[in-house]
Amino acid sequence: MTERPWMKHYPADVPKEITDFGFSHLPDLLKASADEYSKQLAFTQVMPNGMNGSLTYKRVHEQSDSFARYLRDELGLKSGDRVAVQMPNCLAYPVVAFGILKAGLVLVNTNPLYTASEMIHQFRDSGAKALVVIDMFADRLPEVLGKTNVEHVVTVKVAEYFPGVVAGVIRMVQKVWSRTLPKVTVSHTKFKQAIKLGSNHATEVVEYQKELSSDSIAALQYTGGTTGVSKGAMLTHGNLVANTIQMIAMNGTYITPGKETVLTALPLYHIFAFTVNLLGFYHSGARNILVPSPRPPSNLKRAFENYKITWLSGVNTLFNALLNERWFQESPPKHLVGSAAGGMSLHDSVATKWKDLTGTPIVEGFGLTETSPVLSFNPMGGLSKLGSIGIPVPSTDIRCVDEDGKEVPVGQPGELVARGPQIMKGYWQNDEETANSIRDGWFYTGDIAEMDEDGYFKIVDRKKDMILVSGFNVYPNEIEELIASMDGISEVGVIGYPDEKSGEKVQAFVVSSVREPSKDEIIAYCREHLAAYKIPSKITMVDELPKSPIGKILRRELRDGMTSESKGA
Amino acid sequence: MNNLMILANETANEATVVNEFEQTLLRILVVIIMFGLGAGLTPKDFGSALKRPWGLVIGWFTQFFIMPLTVYLLIVSVLIPFSSGEGILFVALGALIMGSVPAGTTSNLFTYFSKGNLALSLTMTVNSTLWAFIMTPAALFIYSNLLGLDESLSVPFSELALVIVGLIIPVGLGMLLRKFSANVGAVIELIGSVVGLLFIPFLIIIWVPRNWQLLLTTEWPTYVVAIGMGLFGITVAYYFTKLIKVHPMNARTIALETGINNGPLAIAVIVAVYIDNPGLDQILLVPALYSLFIVLISALVTLVFRRANLAAEQKIPNLL
Repeated sequence: MTERPWMKHYPADVPKEITDFGFSHLPDLLKASADEYSKQLAFTQVMPNGMNGSLTYKRVHEQSDSFARYLRDELGLKSGDRVAVQMPNCLAYPVVAFGILKAGLVLVNTNPLYTASEMIHQFRDSGAKALVVIDMFADRLPEVLGKTNVEHVVTVKVAEYFPGVVAGVIRMVQKVWSRTLPKVTVSHTKFKQAIKLGSNHATEVVEYQKELSSDSIAALQYTGGTTGVSKGAMLTHGNLVANTIQMIAMNGTYITPGKETVLTALPLYHIFAFTVNLLGFYHSGARNILVPSPRPPSNLKRAFENYKITWLSGVNTLFNALLNERWFQESPPKHLVGSAAGGMSLHDSVATKWKDLTGTPIVEGFGLTETSPVLSFNPMGGLSKLGSIGIPVPSTDIRCVDEDGKEVPVGQPGELVARGPQIMKGYWQNDEETANSIRDGWFYTGDIAEMDEDGYFKIVDRKKDMILVSGFNVYPNEIEELIASMDGISEVGVIGYPDEKSGEKVQAFVVSSVREPSKDEIIAYCREHLAAYKIPSKITMVDELPKSPIGKILRRELRDGMTSESKGA
Repeated sequence: MNNLMILANETANEATVVNEFEQTLLRILVVIIMFGLGAGLTPKDFGSALKRPWGLVIGWFTQFFIMPLTVYLLIVSVLIPFSSGEGILFVALGALIMGSVPAGTTSNLFTYFSKGNLALSLTMTVNSTLWAFIMTPAALFIYSNLLGLDESLSVPFSELALVIVGLIIPVGLGMLLRKFSANVGAVIELIGSVVGLLFIPFLIIIWVPRNWQLLLTTEWPTYVVAIGMGLFGITVAYYFTKLIKVHPMNARTIALETGINNGPLAIAVIVAVYIDNPGLDQILLVPALYSLFIVLISALVTLVFRRANLAAEQKIPNLL
């Protein structure tokens, strides 16, 4: 790779380039951890009231082997078949996901909150033959299954692998109190039964992996649901192995193998938590604290109280929510080393407040589903720039280019394009989109970014979200961050709306917390800090903003006019 | 011996008008509840209540100044002018004692259900119970003098010690168990809260049928005092704490802690001190009524607080 400006900013303990990622596919990587950390706890699932269950590395290894055997020998699935998984963070998740990968099958992560039509699209498009689903959401299956190729359904309980009495109590509460257990009317196999059936077979799981190479597809990770029809990004074993190693390498000696406890509050079906928390920290021998739902944020209280959390991954919304929790303010985690932010831009005010309260940094990174996901990070052990997505992880090249694909000068905005071993193989059965987004080996992210002279990148905005006011480019992020920094504002989303005179005008959707600044106050504040054409001409007070599963504000839905003004305002 | 004497004898140690068996059952329920409350707490929770003792000081003030004053005002404005029965001063004395004793475990339970600050509630209960040794006689002395009663009363320290031990041991054990196993702690906490929910109808079921007569013969001004002291105590303390800008969670806690007083303690003290007094049944009237109605009032207030809590909760990010 040619010398790039960020190279001099890699700390001493971070390699500039990784020539050998050490594993040819994910089952290899998983086995290495299971051998090395066999007796240690790999996963602990914590319910909001503190009830919990745990699995050791050895148990995860054995159970996922059994699940792999079930899929191959019991169900008769063939190498490369797709298996959809639809569940929140729970102990069964790693067993199921690792089982699928070990069986040489393709994992199709699916959001459990999807509606029937979203499920149908994703299952049909991927051609999934089997579905592993949490029983709480199985009531949509009768409507869905007939329209897909799904032949086998395995149902999972949320308290799988919990101690018997505790699992019983949770089940009773679900049944009697919260009434979240619908009757499963379609033919299905219970997870425990599936494991039992699998354990009756004696095939060595390596047999299933004979056809696997680093170029084999490991996962179809769907994306783009927020901008149009969702597409399956083909992430290969090589992509995910590389990105796991790149991400861990970027943190140098700040992640101590076998010693960390990471809190996984983001959903594992999302690529960020999947690679960073599940694969990355499993590879590092960490104990992964799984929280099924971080909503409301008080659900995380017991996890923070009962475990010595050393790492946390999150998105701006989650960090901000924790900072607003009284219990978190009163006893911030004492053992925390660092936190990783991604998924959406981290507001400077949140990063600063976090540092003040916990004494530890949030390092911001950047990536997309198509890039497995990590492209860049601020190095823990080196220069970390506020408001920047950092520098490319080792063996990754990033440039900002103009409309013709030519690199723009330092400090100029351009579309961020990237090259590296983590870039997806393409979109599943969608050559047109693949050709659109991967050109000459570079992946076009659709994000506008700038690089400074140190080689640090800063995301300006999504290309699609840019607002054109009388010929001037307005980036919603800039206005959002400004309004969010006002006292009493909890969230804000900015979009453009058509205007006869200026082409487009700026509109802000604002959720305010305790003290409500008036619309006039917000305008006045913007006037102080922004050029005239950037000042919102419309401000709408709302109760809530539409968000993606990990908490990204969905500007498209704002544009579609699906958010109505709050009655209080 | 009339109905009320039976009440007094049977309830020498407990607030409720119940028999020996029910009394034991109630004690066990209270221990289970306290055990469950403890199982939800860590030392950290108490740390913040002790680190910033303002909540304790404010609670101490509302408990021993606002609450007795509220009761006194109710006595002079409603009870005395509108009551026809004889021995109304005995009733007034009972009301004053009821208003001057500290809070008990019921307040902790309702704080828990109201999503208040449980650690603060428990700390306030211990704090005000210790202070009761001085403050309860002092408050009683002042207001009984104003009523021309000239009563002096000493609270037996053993009764107070019993309250504190009965609180600290199960709560401490609950906390210890949780430290030992988060699963055991969570199960106990769940059982405690279920028992706490059952506790309210249970009290009513055993109280009302046996004291039907008492409810029918009591005059309305006495009701106003017995019900009003809890209701106004909670309301006044709530708005007072809001006024001085206490965090809403702590405001709810202090309000409940102020308005809910230790009925069993009041009854025990009265029986210990006035056992030979001919007016004993009248003195016990308000504490007995209060013990029933405070549970109903607190349940209603809890519903209101929970709703307010939901509304005030930060807008939660839309995460799964």
